[in-house]
Amino acid sequence: MIGAIFKGLGTTLKYLFRKPVTVEYPDVKRPVRERFRGRHQLKRFANGLERCIGCSLCAAACPADAILVVPAENDPAAPHSPGERYAARYEINMLRCIYCGYCEDACPTNAIVLEHQYEISFYDRKSSVLTKTELLVAPDRGHGEIPPILQQLNRRPSPPAQIDL
Amino acid sequence: MPDVTLVINGQTVTVPAGTNIVDAARAAGVAIPVFCYHPRLPPVGMCRMCLVEVWTPRVDPATRQVVIGDDGKPVMALMMGKLQPGCVTPVSDGMEVRTATEKVHVAQKGQLEFLLTSHPLDCPVCDKGGECPLQNLTMQFGPSTSRFDYGDKIHFEKPIPLGDLIYLDRERCILCSRCVRFQDELAGDPVLGFDHRGRAWEIISKSDPPFDSKFSGNTTDICPVGALTSADFRFKARVWEVRPTASICPHCPVGCNLSLDMRHDKLMRVMPRENDYVNEIWICDKGRFGMRFIESADRLRHPLIRKGDSLVPAPWDEAIALVAEKLSQIREHAGAASLGGLAGPELPNEDLYLFQKLVRQTLGSPNLDCSTGASGAPEVVDLAATLGVGRGTNLAKSGAGTAVLIMGADPEEEAPLYVLRLRGIVARGGDLTVINPYPTKLERSAARSIRPHAGFEAFAALALVKAVLDQGLIATEFVTARVQGLDELTARLREQSVESLCETAGVSEASVRAAAQAFATAEHAIIIYGRAALAAGEDVLRALTDLALLTGKAGRPGSGVIALLPGGNARGALDMGVHPGAGSRRGMGAREMWAAARDGRLRGMIIAGMDPARDNPAIAAALDALEFVVVQDIFLTETAQRADVVLPTASIAGREGTFTNAERRVQRFRQARIPEYNTPAGWEVMQRIARALPPGRSESVTDARPVAGRRAQRASGATATATMDAPPATWDYAVASDVADEIAATVRGYAGTTYASLGLTRAPEWGRQPDEAVYYDGTSYQNAEGIGIQIAATADDPKTVFALRARVPAPFTRHATRPYLLLAVTRAYDGGEWGRESKLRSRMVPPHVILSVADAAAHSVAPGAIVRLESDAGRIELPVQIEVTLPQGLVLIPDVCGTPLSTIQTGPQTWVAISRVA
Repeated sequence: MIGAIFKGLGTTLKYLFRKPVTVEYPDVKRPVRERFRGRHQLKRFANGLERCIGCSLCAAACPADAILVVPAENDPAAPHSPGERYAARYEINMLRCIYCGYCEDACPTNAIVLEHQYEISFYDRKSSVLTKTELLVAPDRGHGEIPPILQQLNRRPSPPAQIDL
Repeated sequence: MPDVTLVINGQTVTVPAGTNIVDAARAAGVAIPVFCYHPRLPPVGMCRMCLVEVWTPRVDPATRQVVIGDDGKPVMALMMGKLQPGCVTPVSDGMEVRTATEKVHVAQKGQLEFLLTSHPLDCPVCDKGGECPLQNLTMQFGPSTSRFDYGDKIHFEKPIPLGDLIYLDRERCILCSRCVRFQDELAGDPVLGFDHRGRAWEIISKSDPPFDSKFSGNTTDICPVGALTSADFRFKARVWEVRPTASICPHCPVGCNLSLDMRHDKLMRVMPRENDYVNEIWICDKGRFGMRFIESADRLRHPLIRKGDSLVPAPWDEAIALVAEKLSQIREHAGAASLGGLAGPELPNEDLYLFQKLVRQTLGSPNLDCSTGASGAPEVVDLAATLGVGRGTNLAKSGAGTAVLIMGADPEEEAPLYVLRLRGIVARGGDLTVINPYPTKLERSAARSIRPHAGFEAFAALALVKAVLDQGLIATEFVTARVQGLDELTARLREQSVESLCETAGVSEASVRAAAQAFATAEHAIIIYGRAALAAGEDVLRALTDLALLTGKAGRPGSGVIALLPGGNARGALDMGVHPGAGSRRGMGAREMWAAARDGRLRGMIIAGMDPARDNPAIAAALDALEFVVVQDIFLTETAQRADVVLPTASIAGREGTFTNAERRVQRFRQARIPEYNTPAGWEVMQRIARALPPGRSESVTDARPVAGRRAQRASGATATATMDAPPATWDYAVASDVADEIAATVRGYAGTTYASLGLTRAPEWGRQPDEAVYYDGTSYQNAEGIGIQIAATADDPKTVFALRARVPAPFTRHATRPYLLLAVTRAYDGGEWGRESKLRSRMVPPHVILSVADAAAHSVAPGAIVRLESDAGRIELPVQIEVTLPQGLVLIPDVCGTPLSTIQTGPQTWVAISRVA
């Protein structure tokens, strides 16, 4: 019995001098993998136009039926997105979302991307529905590069997403 | 023609001679991909998608005999040595078709690769995406990659409006010409065409205003790509997100089968639902674009009660209690006969039935009508219930051997889809005669067009009867068995000759004789009459009845009479007994009710789904004279504004029910959404009123069972009677089908029209077949919700006997000082409440008067000038339009919103004087 006690204390002693594995969350945040699937973002093109064209393919692909898209026609004088169509409403119910990333796969313009943000909590169900204003990145955060996932797979995006490539 | 037996992919099939290979393959369950071919359009072979290997027995040129090989079988040869387009190659005996060989696959892949060279591949934003034959066939038959560079695509400005309803995206167009052929061949409005050559080849509209056709929406359905899309559905939703609900168009007596495509309880678009008995796969633009009113913000939401000069919202209980209290007060003090009811012919059967039950049975008043009673509204004479078209009539199958006689009707305006149906009959070899006092578009498709002087239509109709008698065209067997009074009729017409009648009517004798000949000798014949015939009076309809009876064109499928009555469910309104003559005691019609209201004999009224006060100051004054008026409607109409209580109801999207169309087909529509603003269905409102009423004496609505003679009298059209068995006096309907069950049990002819049986469909003899991506893809949806039941007309009972009642019309005299005859004509786009929020708003016909060239010149008025029309009743001023083909002396006024027709009309036909104002 005594031996067993010393064996246990030995383990404790051993770990006392090792680097701790505990992360001091939330003061310290653990980095995630490149292909981690967290909270969605709606991306923009380099010129600030929304990438989302309101095609609803993400909603069609969504196995959890978490996405709602209501499309509308662009005003040619002040377009939201390149082309004729944009998403007037874009909502994701984060309580339904299972973070499978099918929406990202389905998106022809790489507009919806599951980013690395994983701190997703709500005080009520209503605020679990992220609206377009919450999902859309700031106008100066647009980019024209092929998304990393497609670069890894050595694939070019589908034609509608090539608009500013 | 004998049937042809051929082999398709190893399967032996037998099809009628003349069938093309695509259709034959479909019969064998083999799908040949097509773009330009459409089974309802003549084939052209433009897209080359249907290329297949066609092997035929080799024929020795010298002996003209089939060469027999060593194995004793005919030696087969590839037709022309190359692939053949299946849609334009007719089948022949011994033919062998191979659709799945390597050669065919290469052709299909190549064809799709070429079609996609200039296709923008913008499926994600395309409204066709999801039901697009180009998408589907590319996935099924196309190459996975293209050898062409994406950057080399030809780009056009997109989209360009092809009219205000349809957008054209030239990048997506594959130039299959389906839309052009539909407009040319089916709609008869050749407003589309091709322009330019090569890569710049494009579809254009040739008309002004662009794409001026009442059937333009159908081109978006048959477009096999997203080139033509509807402005109404532009970017509203993806097609897979919508929930289609089976519905019926309430706008006209055709009763087209619709599907209301809903998303989140909002109407996204209206699509046709296939029903060969009614609308095939087409609908008119009024049905397609004219359903937005259901979501109008102007809809009534709460009951309104009059407090002084204004109508204020009130709770339902209070409003119903007030209605019940006032109605029973009037009944007690002034008797039930001082109450009256008007119900609109656009209401479903359930509403109409309970409306008449409430007024006739519960309140005990015989005063019921479904017409507005305006001074110019013609008496509704109803041959369709008595003669009717025979049960089992299918105009989509009528063709050679069918003669159609249009008498005093403009189907394009009164029931647009009949234009397609009738043109289809003509295309299949049928004969069409149009008799109308003014020009109509359908004339262009007719074998002969007869234009009687306005007011003399009855003479033209009688001339047809006389011609039948003279030329010995009587169907002796039918007349002997089922018609009485032939000798009397012959005696009545002894003094007349075809020549003199034609001269009086101002028509050519030869064409009348030809029309009579064509009508009588055809195997099947159909008479269609409409507003102008009703306006011309009863003599026309008596003559038409006799024409059908003498030639034996009644009581069998494919023959009979179709009435184009105003309102989408006028047939149902008459059948349900919303008619002063329907009960055992004849009541007042609408016109008598207004007179009675003015002199105080009528004290209270219930008006449901009708706006008689619109553009009619006389009726408005009569309404004001009434002690109590309750109006049930979906909008605050002019009539509703004068009511004491206004009760809102659900539109057809918010409830279920049935309509009866002009061919007596009872059809069911389903509830597409939760009722707008939680308004109840019309029948529920009736029930609430009835339950709130204190019990009083009631009239029995039981009619004596009619004997043959009585029926003959009814058949004459003098009184249209819905004969009923006594309905139970209770009011305990929980759902609409309870009402329908009672209708089926009590309204004669409606036996069996329960919701369950109305929801049945025939075996899939048409439409999209399982596992088929070629024909109707994205075009028309399989009708799984029921094709309706055609109820029997009186004539369908072989024991009924009819009396011949044609008579020589009274001489029609011209007015001494007013030389012009005024007719009110129907316009489909009449500016009514149905057009709220609709894209058709810009096409609504403005109030105007139509003059002939000669009459306009006589008064030196140019188009747009204002003229004053003066009759014995009053005067109105309207801008002028000039119609080149209008006969001199005739003045037409479209019956549209904003035209105070009642102030000038003295009857359906009014003599007027014209003077120029500015």
